[in-house]
Order: sequence, then C-alpha cells, then structure tokens
Amino acid sequence: MSRPVNRREFLNLLAAAGGAGAAIQAGTALGLLPASAGASTLDLTAGNGRSAVILGGGLSGLTVAYELGKAGWDCTILEASHRCGGRIFTVRHGTLIDEIGNRQYCEFDDEPHLYFNAGAARIPSTHRTVLDYCRELDVELEVFINENKTCWVQDDAMLGGKPVRNVEYTTHMRGFMAELMAKAMNETEMDAPFTDQEAETLLGMIRRFGDLGEDDVYRGSFNAGYASGGFIEHGVQKDLIAFRDLLKTRLGANLMRANEGETGPVLLQARGGMDRITDGFLRKVGDRVSYRAMVASIQVRDDGVEVTYDQDGARRQIRADYCFNCIPSHLVTGFEHNFPEDYVRALKYIRRGEAYKAAFQAKERFWEKQDIYGGITWMNNPSRQIWYPVAGIHKQKGVILGGYDFGGGMYHTRMTQEQRIEAHLADGEKVHPGYRGLVEKPVTVAWHRMNHMLGCAGFWTRILDGAWSTENETMYRRLQAPLNGRHYMIGDQISKHAAWMESTLQSARWAMNDLDRRLRNAPA
Amino acid sequence: MKRIWILIACLTGIAAGGAAAAEREPFDDRYCTTCHGTDGRGNEGVQAPRLAGMEPWYLKRQLENYRDGIRGAHPDDIEGLAMQPMAARLTDESIQDIIEWVGGWKYVPAEHTISGNIEAGRELYQPCATCHGVDAEGNEALGAPALAGQNDWYMVTQLRNFLAGYRGVHPQDVYGAQMRVMTAGLSDENDINNVVAYINSMSD
Repeated sequence: MSRPVNRREFLNLLAAAGGAGAAIQAGTALGLLPASAGASTLDLTAGNGRSAVILGGGLSGLTVAYELGKAGWDCTILEASHRCGGRIFTVRHGTLIDEIGNRQYCEFDDEPHLYFNAGAARIPSTHRTVLDYCRELDVELEVFINENKTCWVQDDAMLGGKPVRNVEYTTHMRGFMAELMAKAMNETEMDAPFTDQEAETLLGMIRRFGDLGEDDVYRGSFNAGYASGGFIEHGVQKDLIAFRDLLKTRLGANLMRANEGETGPVLLQARGGMDRITDGFLRKVGDRVSYRAMVASIQVRDDGVEVTYDQDGARRQIRADYCFNCIPSHLVTGFEHNFPEDYVRALKYIRRGEAYKAAFQAKERFWEKQDIYGGITWMNNPSRQIWYPVAGIHKQKGVILGGYDFGGGMYHTRMTQEQRIEAHLADGEKVHPGYRGLVEKPVTVAWHRMNHMLGCAGFWTRILDGAWSTENETMYRRLQAPLNGRHYMIGDQISKHAAWMESTLQSARWAMNDLDRRLRNAPA
Repeated sequence: MKRIWILIACLTGIAAGGAAAAEREPFDDRYCTTCHGTDGRGNEGVQAPRLAGMEPWYLKRQLENYRDGIRGAHPDDIEGLAMQPMAARLTDESIQDIIEWVGGWKYVPAEHTISGNIEAGRELYQPCATCHGVDAEGNEALGAPALAGQNDWYMVTQLRNFLAGYRGVHPQDVYGAQMRVMTAGLSDENDINNVVAYINSMSD
C-alpha cells in the first residue's frame, strides 16, 4: 500500500521522469514557483552612460529602446521607412502601403472602426509578454473572434460549390465520426483495457460528442441549427448532409482543428488596430526614432558598433556601445559589414516569408444579416479566408479581410493589383452572392514586396512546420548569440516560432538578458 | 483662351495635389537599395545583383525591358519575376533619375562565392570574349555589358535562364536572343560554374 505523495515529492518525481522542464511547468500550475517573468521584471544593470543603436523600429527594436531607456541607457532607433511597427501594420484611411512596384494609399472612409490589420492580428491569451506590455503601455484590448460557427465553408468540389455553415459541416462531421467511434467501441470493447464503467463513460461521451441516436447512428442534430422555428414553434431540423459529401472537401482538416493550438486560447486584439501597440511604445520612446534612415554599413568593433546610414540625401554615422538589429536578415546581408563568414551564412539561411493579405471596405455589413459577427469563413480557393470584423458591430460599414494566404502567398503576390482584386472578388462571390457590388476600396499587402521588409515571417526549417535539423539549430544559435558581444540580431526571425509578437518580444528580452548577464560577469 | 484653360488646369491640379500631399506620405521611385543593397553592391540574401558600376546604357535597356514585359515575364524566371513589377510603373523620367543615382555609386567588385575550374572556364569564355571583351570589360557598341566584378551567383542564374529559355525568348529581346545562341555551347552546370569562375578570376 503506497502512501500519498506530497507536492514536493511529486515535483521531484516529475523532474526525474520528464526533466526539469516538466517540473517547472507543473510547479507553476501548483502555485509553488513564480510565473514566467512579466514585462516589468527585466533586470538590467544601470545604464551608466551606455549607449545602444537599434536598427529597425519593429516591435523588438521598440522593446529594446523602451527597456534599455528605463535602465538609463542612451538609445537611438534607425528606421528605414516612414513608420515604426514593422509587420504590426494597421491600414486605415490614408495609410501608405509601400509595396515596391505597387504603391497604394488606403481609401477606406475615415472612421475609427474601418481598419485592417495587415500583419499581426491576434493575441492568444497565453502570450503573456505581449499582454503584459499592453497592460504596462495602456493599450486597450478587446476580444477577437477567430472561429465562428455561423461563418461559411465553401469548396467547388462539395455540394456543387454551395456554401454551408461551419456549424453544419462540423456538427455532421462530428456525428459521423462519433458513429465510427461508437461502432469501433462496441466491437473492440471486450479487448479494450477499460473497465465497464470506463467504457460506459467513454461511450456516453462519444454519443454526446456526435449527438448520436440510442442505436449509435447519426441522423442529424439540432446542433447544426434550425431550418425554421426553434422559439415560438418547434424547431425543424436542417437536412442532413451526407458523409460522402462532407468528405469532398479537404477544408474539414482545418475546420475540425479550429480552436486548437495557437488559436485555441481566447484571442485578443488592440482596440482600434494592432498598431495601438506600436503607439504605446512610441509614447515612451518616440523621441528616440530617426525615420527614413536606411542602414548602409555595420562595423562591429571590440569597443562598440559603428553604423553608417543614409538620411535626407546624406550619409551619416552613429557609434554606440551595443547594437540591436531587427532588420530582416535577408536585407542585412546587403549592407556593408565586417561580419565573419559563418555569421553571414546564418543570416542567409533564414528563408523569406511570403504571406499575403487583402481587404475590402464593405458598403454594408451584409454578413451580420446572415448572423455572422466576427470569425472566419473558409474557402478552398486561393483567397482561402474571409474575416469579419469585431470592430463596429451594427454600424453601416465594415472592413473585411478578403484574402489571406498564410502559407505561400506568391500566387497573389505575382499578380498585378487589378488581377489580385479580381481574384478575391471572384472567390468571395462564391460565398456571398453580389459580393462585387457590396465591397469597395480594396487594399492588398504582399509582404514579400513591402519596401524595407521584402518578406513576412522568416522560416528556418526547409520544410514548413518541419522538425529542426542540427544545421537549423547551429545557424540559429550563431545568430542568436551576440557578434563579438556587441551586435545582437533580434525579432521573430530569431525565434523558433516566427510570426507571433510574443516571439518578437521574447527575442528582444532574451538578447537584453544575455547582455545583462555579460555585463554583470565582466571584470570590473 | 487655350492658355487660360491650361492655367486653370494647372491651378486645380496643384490645389488637388497640395491637399493630398498634406495628409499622404511622400515617395519617390528610388527603391533600388532595398533589394540591391548598400550603394547597389548586390545582395545575395534576396538574389539582387550589383548595380554599382553597371553601364548606364545597359541599365536603361534592362529597366525598359522589365517595364515592357520583355524580361522577367517567364513563369520560371523566379528572380526576373521579382524584379519585373518593380519596374512596371517606372516612367522614362524615373528611369533616367535611377540611372543618374546608380551612376553616383562607387564600383566595388563583388565577393566570390562559387568555385570552378578556371582553366576549363578560360576555354569556354573564348566565344564570350567576342562581345564582352577579353577582360570581360564589356562593349557598348555590341550591347554587351561588363561581366568582371558582377555577382557570380547572379551570372550563374542568368546563364541558366538563357540556357533554359527563361530569358532571351521574347521576340523583342534582340540581345537576349544572341545570348541564347551563345550559351548553347555550355553543356551543364559544371560548364556554367567554370566559366563564371574564370570571369571571377579577372576581377581578383
């Protein structure tokens, strides 16, 4: 008869079984260890007149300027473009979209709710660093709706291209899957390592999961919505969609895993546009930013870093004790520099991201008349998604995302602006008849061609979402470590989870902590 | 009367332009260094070649070719496809402005990134010398740009493109068609590497 283990023993057992990482996670859950460092706990040695030049006014650069500034450092940010924020980019009335070869000015009406987050658009509630900075910088947040069961699913291959509600698709699919599971349970139950009690519990769960009949057969469900009635009159069940028809689309793989992983937790957004986060930082460090300052040369010395840059038609120079660089790696390789060969090789190793987004202003919020308030429609066409805004519910107009290629993106990027717009109109028309007449004032953001960026989130692995090779790891560690103890590459490009603000912020904080440790350990 | 109309058109044009300029970010077409690197010295990170030192007549022809869809239109010319839209909206004036801008950059030979058999490359280069010169210094009269000092990875890509028919197939690309004929003598990747290694050796 074993005695119950106490919490300390439990932690020790976990540490032995799963490594310290497991113990740390469980310890946090048990309330024994402090939660991961919040935004205000970064411990940097006092500035003592130290200086830093920060290359790029992206989120990581702003974070370094803010934190080092708090510690008394003298910081200067050199930003090549006319704006800070990098891929935190909110497009609204008058915004310049500086795509090389396809410059656009946004013509949306000038109203607070008519904006489009062309870059960062979602903050998972588990991304503590982002949320802590939002709190610290007074950035107002609101809930973002990612999955919405009343949104549509459309695939030319399914039901003759007729769109169906997400809830219909997923309810029926669950029903059919549950039927399979129930049958499998009944057939294998004798051999299964379950007690009768466990088997009954599991079967009960399967039946509820799929809304099966008592005979474990799925015949449709009110969960898929009513064809009519439901309040004063009895609800009439919608027609069942055949299992075989549901399997005509591969979108099911996305639909059935929605609200998993990164989009699983409650998601948030900055009220009025994600660039309110940039604004929050700029309220603190805006006077440290030098705009339209394009880096020409980076020379890393033993006692500091010299940066040459072009601004107002003149070549200027700045010298600082340390340099934090969030410029995309594929642009850094084009500067004059004195980097060693292996460092350059690592810079060249990161692949340029290709993600692409497009948006329209809608003359009326036609989706709300279809019970859609926020959320995402999935389409099996190159535009892939339509996002409906949370901002401005029940107002006259709204801005909808009309296309988002989060994997590739070159399909639309290689089109002319007119071709891109036509492609999104044609795709959207399949879900919303009359779409062409309902939307106007298009904007497209092809990150691969945006001036001073030329790429969306970079990726290290050669296979998208693939495992990290030893080579990946070696290159990554080379770039993460400071060059000569003086030059830090930062940003989501120096993370294992690019494309999230959390990675960007943690990368900046990793670099500052590393420098802090070096300064503390340096001989006096 | 005609003059008055023009005057009115100018005035309203200026007024409209002025109002827009007040709230809109200004811009020009000097985008080149974003891709082509500091002073146009080339950036392998985005496969954009060295422009500094490029002959103005060659730069003009290529920008016009890109703009007019003569170059960079083939679906397999990945780098050309990236460049083409950058030039698509350039006016004759902005092309001239770019040429003057590029002309102000100091020529610095590109670093060498590939290796090959220089001796074999010397043999392969002999037909090239007819137009590009024995020292790969270029020849304006023949429309052949200098090759010495250009990014070797760029020359490899272009030779591949000529060979594969990704470049030089547009009916208006007269010089490109010549290059297609000349590159037919290169039988494989080894030949390409060797000839480029030889060109590299001329800027050592």
